[in-house]
Amino acid sequence: MQRYDYLKAIAADAQDALAVSTGWGSREWWAVRPGDGNLKTRTLGLVSSIAAGLAIALPERKVIAIDGDGAFLMNLCGLPTIAQQSPGNLIHLLFDNEIYEASGGTATASRSTDSVVIAKGAGYKQARWVTSLEEFRAEFRAAWQRNELSLIAVKVEPGQPKDLPPLKLDEIENKYRFMRYLEATEHKGILNPGFDSKL
Amino acid sequence: MTAIDPIAAGAAIVAGLKKAGIDFVATLPDEKMLEVIRAVEADRQLKHVPLCREEEGIGICAGAYLAGKKTAIIMQNAGFLNSCNALTTTSLQLQIPILMLIYYAGDIGDRGFTTLGAVTEPVLQAMGFRSYVLRRPEEIDETLAGAQILADDSKKPVAVLLTKSVLGVK
Repeated sequence: MQRYDYLKAIAADAQDALAVSTGWGSREWWAVRPGDGNLKTRTLGLVSSIAAGLAIALPERKVIAIDGDGAFLMNLCGLPTIAQQSPGNLIHLLFDNEIYEASGGTATASRSTDSVVIAKGAGYKQARWVTSLEEFRAEFRAAWQRNELSLIAVKVEPGQPKDLPPLKLDEIENKYRFMRYLEATEHKGILNPGFDSKL
Repeated sequence: MTAIDPIAAGAAIVAGLKKAGIDFVATLPDEKMLEVIRAVEADRQLKHVPLCREEEGIGICAGAYLAGKKTAIIMQNAGFLNSCNALTTTSLQLQIPILMLIYYAGDIGDRGFTTLGAVTEPVLQAMGFRSYVLRRPEEIDETLAGAQILADDSKKPVAVLLTKSVLGVK
């Protein structure tokens, strides 16, 4: 099973959750759950921190972080910070393919490291490995229901479907569309007042 | 210049942040900013996120900004250096503002941190961040409000370098 298979399995359950992704995971997530509630990030490691910032700021809105092992291991310092805040609306997904897939495919340290133990040690009360699509989907639904910070980790085969369309948007456009989408769905001004009102 | 004690300085800086519209503050301490961080923690109107490393704070604040928060990060200049990749590939690349209050270790007259002090302003400049050295307590409100206007309007990080004299410490 690849990350894409797991993402497809939860796409319908994700409803209007905000989703923060990185690398190949972005293209895959957009393919299964298109929309302006998706944000692609660029800094390796920061996907979980950016998702946590959103979750802290919008405690009534579900936020999904679509993380990978390379990014997860790079941002270990971020985990105690997230756990200390423990946003119950944040579901942290870790797709562990044991390589830096977006950076050429060399091995990460995850083969000899237990990321769930790390998350628990950092203070995540809910963190577990799952090993099948059914278990992944069930755990995702459980995390959604219990509204408690959760890490769901799964080992996946590297690679993705070859026919996925590339994202047809510029990254700044992605940011603005994401913010406008939040304005519309959270019923509040974020970017407003616009520049015109300052004249 | 008006002399100020550290507790009054902490209160004045937090009041200045709030007047500037800031409502979300990530921090990683320096001993010199102890009273500022205590004042942030004690303030019910500010969301305070204590950090383990400064770079993750750039991510936390970026997420909070996208959701409508006005964000600041309080850190030492060593922490600013720790944050440079996130500031480049998240804040600059996605055009996300953040007000950075940076303790200026190695500022003129400060022993022990001259290496850090020497690179601080050149690195800020190299990254294209506007920065202001805050020395006088009576300039706190104006500087923080002005810097936040620049950050918000340019959608970029803006730095205010906090010195011993404005923090009331030796």
